[in-house]
Amino acid sequence: MAKKNARANDEVNGNVNLSPMIDCCFLLLIFFVVNATQITVAKDPSVKMPSAVSCSDLKDANGCIVVNVFSDVEKMPPEALKKYNKAYPANTLWGVADANGKTIGYTEGQVQDLTDFIKKQKESLKGKGMEDGKIRLYLRGDMAAPWERSSTAIRCAAAAGVTNIVFGTLPSK
Amino acid sequence: MARHKKIQTEAQEDPEMNISSMIDCCFLLLIYFLVATSLVSEKKLDISIPASTQSASSQKPPVDPGRILLRADGSATWNGDMTVAEVYNPDAKPGTSEYRSQRELEQLVEQLKNYKDLASSVQAEPVVMLTGAPTAPHQRIVDIMAALAEAGIKSVGISTADPDAN
Repeated sequence: MAKKNARANDEVNGNVNLSPMIDCCFLLLIFFVVNATQITVAKDPSVKMPSAVSCSDLKDANGCIVVNVFSDVEKMPPEALKKYNKAYPANTLWGVADANGKTIGYTEGQVQDLTDFIKKQKESLKGKGMEDGKIRLYLRGDMAAPWERSSTAIRCAAAAGVTNIVFGTLPSK
Repeated sequence: MARHKKIQTEAQEDPEMNISSMIDCCFLLLIYFLVATSLVSEKKLDISIPASTQSASSQKPPVDPGRILLRADGSATWNGDMTVAEVYNPDAKPGTSEYRSQRELEQLVEQLKNYKDLASSVQAEPVVMLTGAPTAPHQRIVDIMAALAEAGIKSVGISTADPDAN
């Protein structure tokens, strides 16, 4: 009778206690969920970001309408060219991602389309209860891109009623 | 007696929940977010375009907006006569003194700070007009924006006229 009891105890002790591991795992999970910003989808990896001496952290990505500004494809370094989205039409100057994460490329002649896209994004953000002041254009310009392209994107945003501009940069070394 | 005991031990073991599938899910999510979170996080520089109603109003602003002219070669002037940025060299190596002097536009920051003090002395909002050549590199614009951020000026008007044209 006592022997039987001891065996039952042995069996219970043989189990590994997983709860601390699960605790740790959840903690890490929550950390990465909080750190992962929503704009990850719209970031184009082929854009070589400029660096800035004094810049601040992007704490809240909510309300950011991301526009990637490309440099000329033939001038892109090979590592950036490898990451370049081949689905974009030829001579794409601006790349965006819509609400479903689908990437869209706009060429020089599609300035009005870009304005319409920003307007549509703004309306959908407003529909979600976002304040006007919090809706911003997040400009991810390639460091070698001519200013004309970035200024056109800013003008499109201004035409769509978005006057707050955020320049995406990397911290200076 | 023995039969009764057996039933009892089985009943004690049964309530344990199988959590291995939950751990699987949890790990999968963890790996996803680990990959999705980039290590080098992007930073930002904020500016806001002055509303068009300001320029349409007949009232003259108390101070003239500061003017920055950026040429296609990356050199910049402040208020038309003072050179505040040298010709841009994209090949300058990070960490060298040449790179630092290229990127940290100290003269411009100083001028902007002076201008901001002047504007705040008459309770006006400092506004800077930035005129950039269409072919000027985006990096140079970001350098100027960084100088503006350092001086604490957020309101930047963007002009599309070409400074090299005249």
